[in-house]
Parts: sequence; structure tokens; C-alpha cells
Amino acid sequence: MSCQVELTEAGFDPAARLATFSASLGDEGAVVSFTGRARGKAKDGNAVGALVLETYRGVTLASMQAIAGDAHERFAITHSHVVHRAGRILPGEAIVFVATASPHRRAAFEAADYLMDRLKTEAVFWKREEHGDGASWIEPTAQDQKDTVRWLQSEGEENARN
Amino acid sequence: MAVETTRVELCGRLADACGPFVDLTLPVEGLPVPELISILRERFPALQDGLSKGRIRACINETIVPNEAIIRPGDTVALFPPVSGG
Repeated sequence: MSCQVELTEAGFDPAARLATFSASLGDEGAVVSFTGRARGKAKDGNAVGALVLETYRGVTLASMQAIAGDAHERFAITHSHVVHRAGRILPGEAIVFVATASPHRRAAFEAADYLMDRLKTEAVFWKREEHGDGASWIEPTAQDQKDTVRWLQSEGEENARN
Repeated sequence: MAVETTRVELCGRLADACGPFVDLTLPVEGLPVPELISILRERFPALQDGLSKGRIRACINETIVPNEAIIRPGDTVALFPPVSGG
């Protein structure tokens, strides 16, 4: 089993990360990956010059590691790799990359989805969009919160069944 | 007697109002988180808005703590507005 979590200020190539991840696997039958990229347009349609992600000391990486650890506890995945950018990110660049592997597909799909939902709402980052006339802070949307809460609800249902 | 000031780091949008740090003198026995926030709102009116909007969490010595936690002089303190990764 391996759980590799990385916080980086440098740009990275998601395809290269996926290739390295896949090469590290044994007999797993399923690999799922997700890449989140910076958009060039804000929700209001205005152009975004850059996305800036702020972090706090060791707490940001620790929050990512805790989320990845929970994914391993909850799903039958054997390997995971999480990479998250910090600092100034230009439109089109990758912000986040998640890869999971498992013997069968369901666990890998669900773990990647779970990792992303929790990274969106619980990883310790503050995100702002820079545009022509200043910058706007971006906080999780009601939908992002709902996406995370559904895992808590399904965990409650699983516990009630067991 | 030397008075020790505690530096509170303001993260994310909280830094917009008066920069990323404010200094406060805390009682030796410390303060619970909501009291620290009230004092900051009183002493730094520019923070009023940011501190009353959304859920603010405190981080003491690199651990996110519940509201009942006590912040003592010398602690490394930060206040977090809602976080957002991905």
C-alpha cells in the first residue's frame, strides 16, 4: 500500500504523474485519476488572470494527508497519489491531481471522488482569483459542501447497516 | 515586568482588512477562542466585517482547535476563514 501526498509551488505534468503512478502498481485492475485545472473565466464570465492559493505552515499538508489517510481507511484502494499546487497558478495549469488504484473499479472511482470532495471543502487553502480590477476570494459553494456531506451521510448509513 | 505580545496571523480574506498579522497582549491564563475574536473585533474595527462573516476557526501551534480551546501567551496563533482547495 502507498499513500503519497505532495504540496508544491511548482507546476507539474498530470500525465507524467499518472504514468509514474501506474508504473508503481502491481496487479491492481483499476486506476482512476482526476486533474483539476485553473479556469480562465470566473463564474460571472469575466477573465481570470491567475488563481492564487495560500497555505498555512505545516497545517495545509497535514490536512491533505489526513484526507488521503481517511480515503485508504474507507475504500479498498491499494495506492493513492495526491498533488496540490500552491502559489500563483495560470489558466490551464493543473491545480490538483488525484490518482487511486484498487483491485476492482468501484473503490478507485469512489475514493477519487471522495478525495476531491474533501480537498475542496476541508484542505487548508485559501483561493483567490486575480482579475483586471483586483481579486476575489473563492469559498466552497453550497454544492461543494453538499458533495462532502453526502459522504458523511453514506458513512452513517454504512455504520447503521453494520 | 516585560509584557509578552502574541502575534495572531490572519489567513486568507481576513488579511485584507489590516494585513496578515496583528499583535495582542493576552492574560497569562489565556483566553478561549470566541473571546480572542471579540477582542480583535473591538481593537481592530476593520476586522469586524471579516470576523463576523462565515465560520472562523482558530489554529494553535499548527493544530486546528475547537472553540473551547485556550490561547495562551507565546502560542503560535492563526485564524482561518472557510478553506477551499481543489
